[in-house]
Amino acid sequence: MKLGDIARELRLTCLTPGVDHADQEVAAGYVSDLLSDVLANGPAGGVLVTVQVHLNVVAVVVHAEMTAVLFAHGRQPDEAVRAKAIEEGVALYASEDSAFEIVGRLHALGLRGPAV
Amino acid sequence: MNVFPADLHIHTGLSPCAADEMTPPAIVDAAVRSGLSMIAICDHNAAGNTAATQRAAGKALTVLAGMEVTSAEEVHTVGLFPGAGAAVAAADEVAGSLPETDDDYAVRFGQQWLMDADGHITGAERRMLAAATPFALSEVVDLIHRHGGVAVAAHVNRPSFSVISQLGVFPQDAGFDAIEVFSPPGRPSAGASFSSFGLPLLCSSDSHYLGDIGRVRTELLLEKPTFEEFVLALGGRDGRRVAHA
Repeated sequence: MKLGDIARELRLTCLTPGVDHADQEVAAGYVSDLLSDVLANGPAGGVLVTVQVHLNVVAVVVHAEMTAVLFAHGRQPDEAVRAKAIEEGVALYASEDSAFEIVGRLHALGLRGPAV
Repeated sequence: MNVFPADLHIHTGLSPCAADEMTPPAIVDAAVRSGLSMIAICDHNAAGNTAATQRAAGKALTVLAGMEVTSAEEVHTVGLFPGAGAAVAAADEVAGSLPETDDDYAVRFGQQWLMDADGHITGAERRMLAAATPFALSEVVDLIHRHGGVAVAAHVNRPSFSVISQLGVFPQDAGFDAIEVFSPPGRPSAGASFSSFGLPLLCSSDSHYLGDIGRVRTELLLEKPTFEEFVLALGGRDGRRVAHA
């Protein structure tokens, strides 16, 4: 499914003007707030659902070659995180929904976790 | 210049996860028997037992006033302060951000005893010290620095509550003054992989039980065992240095 369609379905707010990767196909996702865990297990090309708003989230997602970060439950990263994400080409989205709710909807849309 | 063995991360019974046996006189006694010249009291998000432990120690050994602060990312940072007053002032800022305990809290998380120099219980801390503060890691480091302290990334080689476990990679601009590793006995080289961060390396026990005190230690080359000399050693200045960690 295209990330732009996912954003519409889940009513996500894009936090990175010019970097929404709307046309990118996304088939996988991961949910974790421990960035060491994301580094080890985040699927390439996938989306990360998290409440972790530290700047390192961008570096870790770039390293794991993931496409976008969905900040759950109203968490908002500060300006430095947004700027870094734009610079690195990572799309950031925000949602008022909980991580549980977001992941449930992503799964219903056909996204899956990394192979085990 | 002399070598002073130091264990700069020890909890008292004020930390909910520490054993009730961790009273000021018992900690001092264990530290002296372990051959330590310097220890630091670092309770979770609190510093209410630091002055009592300093009084219990008298001239037997140096007790630095510290605190282990939990950031919003649930990263633990050890702050080591010039004195108990500075540690308590920093702890007041931290405690003000934490929720109040309720009746069930101590059953689930453990008691938070305030004690005097004789080890007698004088009260209980009413804030949830096991909780995370709302402060981002950079704000925690800034808070410690504002109170004249040094900020140490706690137990970076542990799988939980460490800067590595929570943030994946070491944030170079976090403002830390040192890195602490918990190296189990017989594996003194556990810190080798962290030497590339360009920060002094401390080995500390993170003791929650008396038997752990001094099991992991750092040797400091100092003129005398004081906070000021310790800061010089972290900077490698005036011949002072972290001799072995």
